[in-house]
Amino acid sequence: MIDDPVVASDLGAQWPYALATLLFAAGMWLLLPRGRRGGRRLGAGLAAAGLALLVLLVHFGLTIHDRPPRSVEFTVPFPALGSWAHDGVFLILAVLTVGSAICSVTFRSPVYCAIWFAMTLLGTAGLFFYQGSQFLGVATIVVYAGAILVTFLFVLMLAQPEGHAFYDRVSWEGPLAACAGAVMVGLLTMTFAAAFAPNTEQQGSPPRYGWLEPAIAAEAPAARNENILATEHVASLGRTLFSTHLIAVEVAGTLLLVALVGAIAIIAHSQKTDASSITNEPAALRPRSTGGAHG
Amino acid sequence: MAEIQLVYDYLVVGALLFGIGLVGFLARRNMIVMFLAAEMMLQGVSVSLVAWGRLHNHWGGQMLVLFILTVAACEAGIALALVLSLYHRSGRLDIAFWQTLREANQPAFVDQELPDEAHPKPTWPELPPSGIEPRVDDEILVEREHRIHV
Repeated sequence: MIDDPVVASDLGAQWPYALATLLFAAGMWLLLPRGRRGGRRLGAGLAAAGLALLVLLVHFGLTIHDRPPRSVEFTVPFPALGSWAHDGVFLILAVLTVGSAICSVTFRSPVYCAIWFAMTLLGTAGLFFYQGSQFLGVATIVVYAGAILVTFLFVLMLAQPEGHAFYDRVSWEGPLAACAGAVMVGLLTMTFAAAFAPNTEQQGSPPRYGWLEPAIAAEAPAARNENILATEHVASLGRTLFSTHLIAVEVAGTLLLVALVGAIAIIAHSQKTDASSITNEPAALRPRSTGGAHG
Repeated sequence: MAEIQLVYDYLVVGALLFGIGLVGFLARRNMIVMFLAAEMMLQGVSVSLVAWGRLHNHWGGQMLVLFILTVAACEAGIALALVLSLYHRSGRLDIAFWQTLREANQPAFVDQELPDEAHPKPTWPELPPSGIEPRVDDEILVEREHRIHV
């Protein structure tokens, strides 16, 4: 696919995305706990600038060409959504999700991390609602925020009741981790940009959408909304789940049971080995037994 | 074609969530926070899957997200059990405690001295005195003194 010269030039013209992700990564690095104070405001500013540039590029269709006399032009202003309300709802949800995700990764106190993660989950649930998948939105809130996150907080209360610890104030290899994230996000956004770039060379009325054009053109626009956006959403979701994916449902149920038994077995096993290996040595010097507990 | 722009936006949001989770998983040392970051990566994938399902008008994306939810619940249970048992052995949630599991030719990670955290003194609000001071029995005063000094 890359041998295609059009695609290759598309990828070559994506440097604003690289700039945005680099800004974002520098901000992430400054925001991560580094053991000393300072630099967090600059990091927040850099990350916000990267995000804002990304919003301009992705959502508002800003493109920067080398050839035309004007260096900056809005080729497709608001190509999709006519009304400002739709735009605003999506933007608020997206900024809420991504911003609280940054907070939940970079805050020092793990309890704050968990609470900001709950905020991310709420944002994700809102995004699911906005795409018409109501059941998943509710399930995300119930299962993630209601069950998984509360379990996290329980473990935090059990294990680290005093709040801050020194290992929450430093991080492994902050620059390298931020670079890894930047490479990931940069490659993904550049690929998406090439795949979704409207082909402006032909002035035909329906714009062509990059690599995705055959997949889009194959379906009639009228039939597009009848499945996912059906009024009987949960009914048809359940029909699909218990007909097409019946075996997967059974397997998932078995997996839940196995995970439950496994978690209990792990806890019971660790408590048994703990009781058998209590010595006066500090824990770091004690050889850790990896085998089964005898007796 | 409203769906196209929407799918594009959603994919970028999913990529951002995945990238932020990746950074957090690689950089943070608290096992709970690492696990939160891993869950965040799952969230990013879920957002992308829902968007693709919407684009192709197919239930497959949402089905996959449902199963991701299931697997995430299993994973959370088992991982928290593992974290707790690790905590029982080491006494802290620090993943660097287990660096003896690294490869033989890797240098050890040594913690550096950290500057102390600044604890700002809490400032309490001062209420202006108003009204008439109530009369207090001497017995109660003695009892209060006793409680304060004990």
